[in-house]
Amino acid sequence: MLFRVIAREELKRLFGFLVSAHTVVGPVKAGRDRTGLPLYAFEEVERFEDLSLDYAMTKIPAKRFFLPYREDMAVFEMRKDDWEKKVDYNMGRPRIFFGMHPCDINALNRLDKVLMGETYPMPYYIAKRRNTVIIGIDCTPRPCCFCRSMGADTALHGFDMFLTDIGERYFAEILSDTAFTFLKKISATEPSGEDHVLYKKAAAARNERFVTHVDTTDLMKILDMEFQSDVWKQWGDKCLSCGACSNVCPTCYCYGVEETVDLKLTTARKTKMLYSCNVIDFAEVAGGHNFRPERHIRLKYRYYHKHRGFVEAYEESLCVGCGRCGESCLSGITVPEVIASIRGAL
Amino acid sequence: MPNSGKTYLGVPVSRPRAAFFDFSSCEGCQLQILNNEATLLDFLSLVQVVNFREAMTEESDEYDIAFVEGSITRPDEVERLKAIRSRAKVLVALGSCACFGGVNQLKNRFRDLLWVNKTVYGDAAVETDFVRRLADVVAVDLMIYGCPVRKEEVEKVVTNVVIGKEISYPKYPVCMECKAGENICLFDLGEACLGPVTRAGCGAWCPGNRAGCWGCRGPADDANIEQMKRLMRERGIPEETILDRLECFGGFREVSETFRLEMTKGKP
Amino acid sequence: MNEGLIEFKPVDNKGLGRNAPSAFERTYKAEITSIHQLTPMENLYRMQLIDTAERKGFSFEPGQFVMLELPGIGEAPFSITSSPLRHGDIELCIRKAGNLTNFLSRVGRGTRVGIRGPLGAGFPMEKMHGQDILLIAGGLGLAPLRACISYAQDNRSRFNNVDIIYGAKEPSQFLFTYQYDWWRADDIGLHITVEKPDASWKGPVGMTTNILEQILSSRGSSFHENTYAIVCGPPVMFKFVCSMLTQKNLPMQKMFVSLERRMHCGMGKCCRCNVGSTYTCLKGPVFDYWTVMNLKEAI
Repeated sequence: MLFRVIAREELKRLFGFLVSAHTVVGPVKAGRDRTGLPLYAFEEVERFEDLSLDYAMTKIPAKRFFLPYREDMAVFEMRKDDWEKKVDYNMGRPRIFFGMHPCDINALNRLDKVLMGETYPMPYYIAKRRNTVIIGIDCTPRPCCFCRSMGADTALHGFDMFLTDIGERYFAEILSDTAFTFLKKISATEPSGEDHVLYKKAAAARNERFVTHVDTTDLMKILDMEFQSDVWKQWGDKCLSCGACSNVCPTCYCYGVEETVDLKLTTARKTKMLYSCNVIDFAEVAGGHNFRPERHIRLKYRYYHKHRGFVEAYEESLCVGCGRCGESCLSGITVPEVIASIRGAL
Repeated sequence: MPNSGKTYLGVPVSRPRAAFFDFSSCEGCQLQILNNEATLLDFLSLVQVVNFREAMTEESDEYDIAFVEGSITRPDEVERLKAIRSRAKVLVALGSCACFGGVNQLKNRFRDLLWVNKTVYGDAAVETDFVRRLADVVAVDLMIYGCPVRKEEVEKVVTNVVIGKEISYPKYPVCMECKAGENICLFDLGEACLGPVTRAGCGAWCPGNRAGCWGCRGPADDANIEQMKRLMRERGIPEETILDRLECFGGFREVSETFRLEMTKGKP
Repeated sequence: MNEGLIEFKPVDNKGLGRNAPSAFERTYKAEITSIHQLTPMENLYRMQLIDTAERKGFSFEPGQFVMLELPGIGEAPFSITSSPLRHGDIELCIRKAGNLTNFLSRVGRGTRVGIRGPLGAGFPMEKMHGQDILLIAGGLGLAPLRACISYAQDNRSRFNNVDIIYGAKEPSQFLFTYQYDWWRADDIGLHITVEKPDASWKGPVGMTTNILEQILSSRGSSFHENTYAIVCGPPVMFKFVCSMLTQKNLPMQKMFVSLERRMHCGMGKCCRCNVGSTYTCLKGPVFDYWTVMNLKEAI
């Protein structure tokens, strides 16, 4: 692994250099909540000053740049007795992500396992994933963050360069040739022994800030044991089945497909829309039978997929512990509380 | 229905004669249909409009599909609607007034209509009855929700009717579309919103413009109203505000009636 | 523009699994060559992949399914009900139940449809060679079983006893009645039963389990050593049938069922078909009963 140290002014120069040639996406302030705290979002950025590299967390994850909420999978040209299907992976132009937290990088790494691997790799995702350069940045954990419990507090791969704030400078971890080439354009120095000390201090200070923990010991087995537990019903009573949790989750990838015909009846469209397993008709089949008609069953399934099924398949949870679902849930359903209740600890 | 001469996947496409009618309403839904010139011509190639007071002077009693806007508030409206029903092969309730009674049905809260009439119109009393939605009077084949309706949805429904594809509505609530629109949640801004219980399909029109949802499309399937009330109370939103929203368009009629009874229990 | 800065990376097979990403939305164009009404609710559609090479290359196992697409209308999964020997000249038995199938009931011969597949895991027929097979179907469950029956006919000498137990609610709902004599002629036992008989019905009345009980009692006590069972039907039916077979000592791994679920991709991505957390479209739709018993919420 290659390390460099970059002064703040040099990072600004790097940004300027990148934005002159490419689309750069990063964290910005999108508004303020009722208590005056800033709300952050990932958006296309033109000026370094608009970036909020010390952002807490974006409400909506980086997912939408890889799995858009709505995306055409194919367009049909309809002719009198025939049709032609045109598939487009919607690659667009390459993009540079400037300032992604470890949980969001890990979320992409976990999505890669399903969407770039398995029997059928998904081209719509691959197109965007391969053509995005990621510059990660360390974070200040918030009280609701439990990424450490989900093994997602540090990013080991899945980025090109990772920055850690060590005062007036950034400690950069360089993982790809692309990032190394970027650095040739600015002044980036080899870290000194003192920089190493500063980095370790910063990492230790960050460690102190994790306050929420989720006990995942034997969680797979416990979820199986408590499959029929009444605890699920209590959460089901609170659940609005609104799908907010899945929409703000950086790793929820499930979707629905809808086909439509245009007004001229000459073009048809196959559109994919991110869905949520908490939504009423998620498992409803033609003819009306619903395999998961009740709220608590759907909610339980979501936990089952994240904390059991995915673990079974890939030996880690599909949850990265970013805490977005709990923050977005108007009913206050949070992962740490649900899991604690299933363990019998609440 | 008359054939258009076109086919879709080999299946004949119809070109229904379409008629637009309005009852007690603001006629804003019909205006929506005329609103988008970019697609108006294509829309008109799908149907043959024979009645549309807002757009043309000609009238005809020969039609296949009737788009009916508005709620029913007078005896003569009942007769007119029944006549439309008897002529139309397909009757479409257009907008919240037609589907649920709309804003008009707010007056149903007052039990004494004479008092209502006197308070509103003074000496110039008008004939008026309790407000009913279309389905309370005649059989309704299709509903297009919203106040106003969304032009895109009307176009989609009409396209599906002419090619003979099933019409379906989102069963999930507005939150799904609001999150996909990356809007800031109105509850984060300290405002009330019925998005979590209201049927989607509007594209989160109001929340996207930083206005809380008033439930004009009625409840989503499996809407958790009790929890909705609970979480609004927890956020210090007065019960009267919650009820105002649930009552506004009539889509949540059953729950709002019970809610009002609960609230006024023991009060004069 | 400084385009040389980041190289555009194509969506190719590099570093990925055994399938190219282009397999994901790969659609074969097929033409409906015949439509045969089986009952007022179900039609049998025969469709042929138009491209000759694609047609020959299309090989599947009984129990596998395809995604059938009508452009602009929708797409849904259907088990292939024809013989694997016929390759890309397939038959689908389809009930009018929703948007896609209702529209399909209105199209005519010569209509071009999209086919993705074959997908999923089928019945492991080769494993059953040399053994007795019990094919137990309820209602529309006969559709996927018909591919197994064809396989058994095509390879009749490889199996010992082959018996079909098939139950319907009413006599009018029986599918493929025109083939029954042909099946019997190939020395396949066919036992049909109805729940609600009409005046003309002369056969047995009751559930498939009644007939199964009779057949099992006529077999020796060690029948489980040389028998495989394939069960297709509504979940409540295969639950009863499989527990009866379990009681009679047939190992769970010698019973196979096919699950029905909502599917939007058929390729392990959309999650709609998950049972517990297993993809029905990848690991199924055919599962052995042991696996099904261990999948939460399968039955």
